[in-house]
Amino acid sequence: MTDIPVIYFLWVSAFLFATGLSILLLKKNTIFILMGIELILNAANLNLVAFSKNDHSLQGLYLSIFVLVVGVCEMAIALAIVLQVYRNYRAIEVDQFKSEY
Amino acid sequence: MSQLVIAFLVLALLTCGSALSMLWTKNLLHAALAMFLTMLGLAGLYVLAYADVLAVAHLLVYVGGVLILILFGIMLTNQTDPATGKNHLMTRESGRLLPISIGLSFFLGLFWLFTKGPWINNLPVTGDSKLREVGLGLLTEYAFPFELAGVFLLIALIGATFVAKSHD
Repeated sequence: MTDIPVIYFLWVSAFLFATGLSILLLKKNTIFILMGIELILNAANLNLVAFSKNDHSLQGLYLSIFVLVVGVCEMAIALAIVLQVYRNYRAIEVDQFKSEY
Repeated sequence: MSQLVIAFLVLALLTCGSALSMLWTKNLLHAALAMFLTMLGLAGLYVLAYADVLAVAHLLVYVGGVLILILFGIMLTNQTDPATGKNHLMTRESGRLLPISIGLSFFLGLFWLFTKGPWINNLPVTGDSKLREVGLGLLTEYAFPFELAGVFLLIALIGATFVAKSHD
């Protein structure tokens, strides 16, 4: 059975990266922006996995596991920060964060 | 066209289509649902790239963890609409033209780069599950980074609970 070429994975990951970047630039809700960051991280992960398919020492696969862990940590901390920001400003849209002092 | 390529096409369509609907919708909950579908498709793509360990970890972490975290975030930062009394889930956007054109140009540039690159298409192909190698590697050669990742996760979760508690 013929294998899937690496370039197909690269196309999908380029698409995911572009979509995540558009979400980052387009949306004003902070949680939405975090979802865009997750899409970009997963595009990078897909690249790492696709190249490690041809690598016998599997370094890309190990790196992608650590990227996964760091992505989860980033998401937990970022949502905690969003919660605190919401308590202070009563808003979660990025252009409503204005200092009152 | 082999069955493997057909499966790849279906999964890639699922992933890209739900990512696009995430970009298109303004409703936060619809975006969370679309992100769920994106993560499912991505796990399938990881399986097709022979990274089944990563696919299972990805499903556990994203569908089981991050998505629930996002739903809690939406719930806790909820605002009711003063006019109708219903939940306000629609997010505002800056103008659609500029961000989407920037994203499209990034996609076309990367597509051109990947397609023109002479260094991709002639790679050798190996095909089997990497489960055994990854398990051995994580406990021998990469044992220290693995433990470090665990401690890092612990620190991040304790820090997140500390940040999220009320500091009155």
